Amino acid sequence: MPAPFTNADVWLVVPVFNEGAAVRAVVEAALRTFPQVVCVDDGSTDNSAAEITRTHARLVRHPVNLGQGAAIQTGVEYARAQPGARFFVTFDADGQHRVEDVVSMLGRLRTDDADVVLGTRFHPAGDPVPLLKRWVLRTAVALSLRGRRLRLTDTHNGLRVFNRRVADELNLTSNGMAHASEFVALIERHHWRVVEQPVRIVYTDYARAKGQSLLNGVNIVFDSLVRGRAR
Amino acid sequence: MTWIKVLLVLAAVGIALLVLRHHGTARGGALVKLGMLGFLMFAVYAVLRPDDVTWLAGLVGVGRGTDLVLYLLVVGSGFFAVSTYLRFKELELRFAKLARAMALADARARDAATPSDQGTPD
Repeated sequence: MPAPFTNADVWLVVPVFNEGAAVRAVVEAALRTFPQVVCVDDGSTDNSAAEITRTHARLVRHPVNLGQGAAIQTGVEYARAQPGARFFVTFDADGQHRVEDVVSMLGRLRTDDADVVLGTRFHPAGDPVPLLKRWVLRTAVALSLRGRRLRLTDTHNGLRVFNRRVADELNLTSNGMAHASEFVALIERHHWRVVEQPVRIVYTDYARAKGQSLLNGVNIVFDSLVRGRAR
Repeated sequence: MTWIKVLLVLAAVGIALLVLRHHGTARGGALVKLGMLGFLMFAVYAVLRPDDVTWLAGLVGVGRGTDLVLYLLVVGSGFFAVSTYLRFKELELRFAKLARAMALADARARDAATPSDQGTPD
């Protein structure tokens, strides 16, 4: 085992939607460090589910596509029902997140400094983010009153690690991409202690092609705007 | 002139009947129903006595009765859009919960069928 911990109390939640080309390799790599992985197949129309069943990861299948937020909620509900689950990780299926980052994020949870550790792409020590993406994400952060109140530098990072308390209280109702803003809103509402950890995002061509388009960026910005003002 | 009035009044009455027939589907439905009926009664009145609407418009500082009706229509359709949006969101959430419950039940059944081999490999 690579870490001083066996990570038997950790569950990786991996939302999967049409990631047949990448998901198996990503999951197998993650399983080497984290023996417990649950993939939520969000109604994929490709071979994602078949690829997942070839690994040792657990599989939960949405009968229809519900969106990433719903998939994360499903995965967390599955994981928190498993005996011994103490720490939870949301991890993307396209290979843009690194297992090493999860390990160091977990370290901060285990010392009980925080309830949630969010990955951030914007940290002096981090790698540069592609220009367009940086602009979109910066705008999202700038528009998010909550994000600023909580001193977050990156409100739309899919890499999150959190403890039992957060998993028990988590109730994401935004099905689509808006769940990232909702997560930040929940942090504030439930007074979860949050810290950020600089992470590296692997911008492979695959992830780039799959990843959020600029139009989606508009959605994110708009969503931050609405959430920041209303409620 | 009169034909259009007949048609509009008939349409309003028809909608009112539809509103009354579909009862008890949601909480707070009564208020919405009353609002709808009031709106439709106003519509019938406005069709039959447009001059009164113009008088009313003058009273609240709008130029013509048509403008007043237009403004009310904008507000009305805005209200409709918002309530429909909220309704859809609520429905979407229920739908997601249903699908999630199914997915989790399936997964539990699968886990029970393949005990303890999974989850602790190697």
